[in-house]
Amino acid sequence: MSGNEDKIVEHDLCGQICPSTLLVALREINRNISQLTGGEVKLLFKTDNRDSINTIPEAVGNMGLKVNVQKQESYYEILVLKI
Amino acid sequence: MDTLKAAFILVPCLLLGLATGFVMHRSDFCIAGMFRDLFLFGSVFKLRTLMLLVACSMLLFELAHMLGFISIYPFPLFGSPSFANIIGGFIFGVGMVLAGGCVVGSLYKMGAGSILSAVACAGLIAGSALYAEIHPMWGALITKTTFFKGKITIPQILGMDPLPLMLLFIFGSALYFQRSFRHGLMTRPTYAEGSIQPWKAAVLLSFIGLISCILIGMPLGITTAYAKMAAYFESIFSSKHVSELAFFQLNPLKYQQPLTGIPLIGGPGPRLDAVAMIQFPLIAGIVFGSALSSILLKEFRVHAKAPLRQYLSVAVGGIIMGLASRMTPACNIWHLMGGLPILAAQSVLFLVGLLPGAWLGSVLLSRIVIK
Repeated sequence: MSGNEDKIVEHDLCGQICPSTLLVALREINRNISQLTGGEVKLLFKTDNRDSINTIPEAVGNMGLKVNVQKQESYYEILVLKI
Repeated sequence: MDTLKAAFILVPCLLLGLATGFVMHRSDFCIAGMFRDLFLFGSVFKLRTLMLLVACSMLLFELAHMLGFISIYPFPLFGSPSFANIIGGFIFGVGMVLAGGCVVGSLYKMGAGSILSAVACAGLIAGSALYAEIHPMWGALITKTTFFKGKITIPQILGMDPLPLMLLFIFGSALYFQRSFRHGLMTRPTYAEGSIQPWKAAVLLSFIGLISCILIGMPLGITTAYAKMAAYFESIFSSKHVSELAFFQLNPLKYQQPLTGIPLIGGPGPRLDAVAMIQFPLIAGIVFGSALSSILLKEFRVHAKAPLRQYLSVAVGGIIMGLASRMTPACNIWHLMGGLPILAAQSVLFLVGLLPGAWLGSVLLSRIVIK
């Protein structure tokens, strides 16, 4: 986290039951939607659920937000930010 | 049975399991998720791939049957429909959603390191043990509510050759999937490394099912092995009680392996019989196939960190699923990948029950488990 404009809120969802990864991600995105679209915050989801690695970006894209997916060792990081 | 004959059963089952586990992990082919997503998100993308699997299996099974590669038809263990198929399907639907995966889904997820899925598998064993206690009552209900006695498939009930009905389904499906592919409804962007598109997994799984039918004489099925594991565990503490339970004395599996003519007899009791020789290698194969896939991707990791609420959900879901898999009898893999393609009436009724069950499971999951 560095400064208000680059504030990254992290959620570690590794090991959770399917589909809690997607549901928690959607809940957090909706909770922070105004800050996300305003570029004040970015959300970072850590997940090892192969299904949500595909479904979260799809859902985020439908919400008009940008998403970056990066593999980190045994899990994936999904960064949600404004376009 | 000598070693060579046993190898003709053990090796193909292990290889089929390995292939199934590998493909399911790479595509995250979660059948519980297919039904859950329909009710939770209104998404039919994954369910469409299951429909493709059923349609492909129907075509392959029918062709193989016509060409003489499948000699036992309908497959062993399928019986006449009963009201129990609907009730069992309903309870199974609730359980698989709460457990975060069906009988096979929990196995391949456990193979990739999920402790939650391991808990679901333990629940499946406990649920099977529970069923053994109520079997006399439930067995009587099955007998009372069985209809079309002596008939197994819809064509048999209708008194017609299965081919015209199969062709109708296959051509209808072909038109539907041609349209779906044309509109891009069968593929999705993938970000997970080494991912297999679910439609490709569906086709691969239909071939795995076909090979199982040709080599073993029946489609993939593993739930009796859970009951067998329950019997073994229970025997440690009270072998007398196990020997007194009628369920564990049953031997519903009775047929000859098509390729070798080896008589295959077995049931849920704590015996090293045909059920053990077929289903234990399958289970081991699915777990190791998935583990192999995740190790090759460097994604294997044992995950134990999850909210307590989720642990309770998978334990309860596993127990419910184990119980239902005996009440139905059998699981979604058996009915959806093996029974529906031959239009087995039991499998149709199982699906009728599974849909509202998965809906109820989705409601419970979203309102109670995931907060």
